[in-house]
Amino acid sequence: MAEEKKGRAVATSTAAKIPKFVRGNLSATLKAKEEGKKVAAAFIADGQDEIMRAMDIVPAWGESFSGVCAAKRDAEKYLQKAESDNFSRSLCTYATCNIGFDMMREELGGATPEGAPWGGMGRPDMMLGNGQLLCDPRFKWPQATQHYQQDVPVFVTNMYYPPWDPNADHHEQEAIYVKYAADELRETVKFCEKITGKKMDWDRLAATVELSDKTWDLFIDTYELRKHIPTPMDTGDAMNTMVPLTFNLGTQEAYDFYVDLNAELRQKIADGVGVANPEKYRIIWAAGLPSWFALGDFQYFNGKGVVFPVEVTYRGCEKIERLDLPKTNDPLEHIAWRWVRYWTHWYDAAKKRPGSTPKVERIIEYIEDYKCDGAVFHSAFSCRSWHAGIMQQAATLKKVYKDIPILIMEGDIVDISSYNEADTHNRIDAFIETLAASKKRQG
Amino acid sequence: MAFVLGIDVGSGYSKAIVLEEGEIRSYAVIPSGGDYREAGRAVARTALEKLNLTFGDIARTVAAGYGGNMIDFADDTSTDISCHAAGVHYLFPSVKTVMDVGAQYSRAIRLDDEGRIANFIMNEKCAGGSGKFLQVAARILGIKVSEIGELSLTAKKAVEFTTGCAVFAESEAVSRISEGASPADILAGIHNAMASKIVTLVIRVGLAPDCAVTGGGAMDIGLVKAIGAELGTGVFVPDEPRITAALGAALIARDTLKTS
Repeated sequence: MAEEKKGRAVATSTAAKIPKFVRGNLSATLKAKEEGKKVAAAFIADGQDEIMRAMDIVPAWGESFSGVCAAKRDAEKYLQKAESDNFSRSLCTYATCNIGFDMMREELGGATPEGAPWGGMGRPDMMLGNGQLLCDPRFKWPQATQHYQQDVPVFVTNMYYPPWDPNADHHEQEAIYVKYAADELRETVKFCEKITGKKMDWDRLAATVELSDKTWDLFIDTYELRKHIPTPMDTGDAMNTMVPLTFNLGTQEAYDFYVDLNAELRQKIADGVGVANPEKYRIIWAAGLPSWFALGDFQYFNGKGVVFPVEVTYRGCEKIERLDLPKTNDPLEHIAWRWVRYWTHWYDAAKKRPGSTPKVERIIEYIEDYKCDGAVFHSAFSCRSWHAGIMQQAATLKKVYKDIPILIMEGDIVDISSYNEADTHNRIDAFIETLAASKKRQG
Repeated sequence: MAFVLGIDVGSGYSKAIVLEEGEIRSYAVIPSGGDYREAGRAVARTALEKLNLTFGDIARTVAAGYGGNMIDFADDTSTDISCHAAGVHYLFPSVKTVMDVGAQYSRAIRLDDEGRIANFIMNEKCAGGSGKFLQVAARILGIKVSEIGELSLTAKKAVEFTTGCAVFAESEAVSRISEGASPADILAGIHNAMASKIVTLVIRVGLAPDCAVTGGGAMDIGLVKAIGAELGTGVFVPDEPRITAALGAALIARDTLKTS
């Protein structure tokens, strides 16, 4: 049974619109059939968004649904269901929560299990997996789900980018990776055309990609307003305001959301309104997905004068002009370049600092730009690919940059059994004392 | 002359210290049980009664520990990590690395020259490096926790455990008993496994001599020796290691009083 917990209060009124986005995305999957649309089980940040939007395919975001289950503290029944069929607890809990839900829905002949958070998610007509460096479950998760939904076809789009190697010239490699990614996206289009029975409208796709680019730019412009002291918005809100960029890319609604958020942040700055009053310490959320069941911990930080003006997580875009993308009339090639350069544009900076890495260089740039006093990393035990290198990142940051206070929190994204509120708050308190001592040492 | 009170309500034991002019006048240690609020009050009352004092005689009280936030008569709270740092710095000013082995958690704390926290790390939800492991060992071998240290020093050949996990080590210990391993050899092996876990935390915060071990685990001479061997250096241990955080809380109370 779900444990009722008061939700986190958001600092911006724009962020309060996010539940409507999330519910809307979930209900769209349930209404798709009556609207004659196809549903695709899909994964975030993998270049397939615009293809789906341009073909009126409704994405069913498993990661979002699992996050909702976690935030409602109602994921345990799905985790246990998956575990009952030998899915280990140490596997990605986004995946196992979603697979458990899918298993229950199949047992009900496709009907939504009773009590599913926010109405649950509709049965997909296809699954769009993704093989890339960011997250390894994305090509096994749909295959595992297919054990229970054997009639649902799977297509895995492989989107790779040059791996970091300080001794290699990634600029020489980029074009090869872009060609490969663009070819994969073309195959994805063919697969979607086959399942939907519709042809891709390439002009519509180009317009959708253009809208995405505008949204990327506006997102960064808006988030950079958070450099202001006191910051008008912190990571607690950003874990909500990432939704339109992450789950609704290529839609006018997503763009309009950031227009509103931008206006609100400008107003807060003009009025001198910050997240914390007084703002004592500014911290970067340096890596890791949050514990969705414990977003209230950001308020715990805020209540003690600690704010997060910047985070690496869910900042899945960059100003387009900073990526210096080659001109192309092919929207799929543009997506491929945008994808590859999003990752490699940190490589040049990392090469300039011996011993650094692109991930660490990004953290350093944000620390400098947002005037941060310390860093918090969250290591989620079930998310290996994203979190396995966190200790090394923290150590490298201290080695190549400076000895700033760092807190490494360990928990999970969905599995609440990893969490202890009293213990977490104790760590946060001790970290704040470390920040105070560090500031005293600096005079 | 002002008396100050430091209280540390840990998951296993509650501790209280009364300081006067920076000197320890009395202290008390009692099991925390299931009511941290009452445990905090009871342990404070016990320490005060030793000096024929009442709560009204105390100028300032600081509470820390797992149940620190529940001590409603405290003027302030602090983290047990800061309190351990302050307590150790008072006792051993040269110490830069503190290992606190509590009933439920173990921690490594790096101090700066002024005794402030420079870095810290705690073990996660894992009994492997905590006093819980010793309780498990005592139960399996049918001895008291307080007997573990001396008994382990008589070991001829420490059992090598293949795991640092207390749950798996419990079943492994049972297997070794059935194979004829002596209780002393098993305990020495458990100490080595715990020391390895604790020193891993130290490496993560950065080892800097001198080192000290605090908390209930520091009362186990076998564990302290194993930690020293794993570190390759000697370690300081307070005379009553369980009260280090309560001492730190009292020192913080004293310092606040001075500056207010």
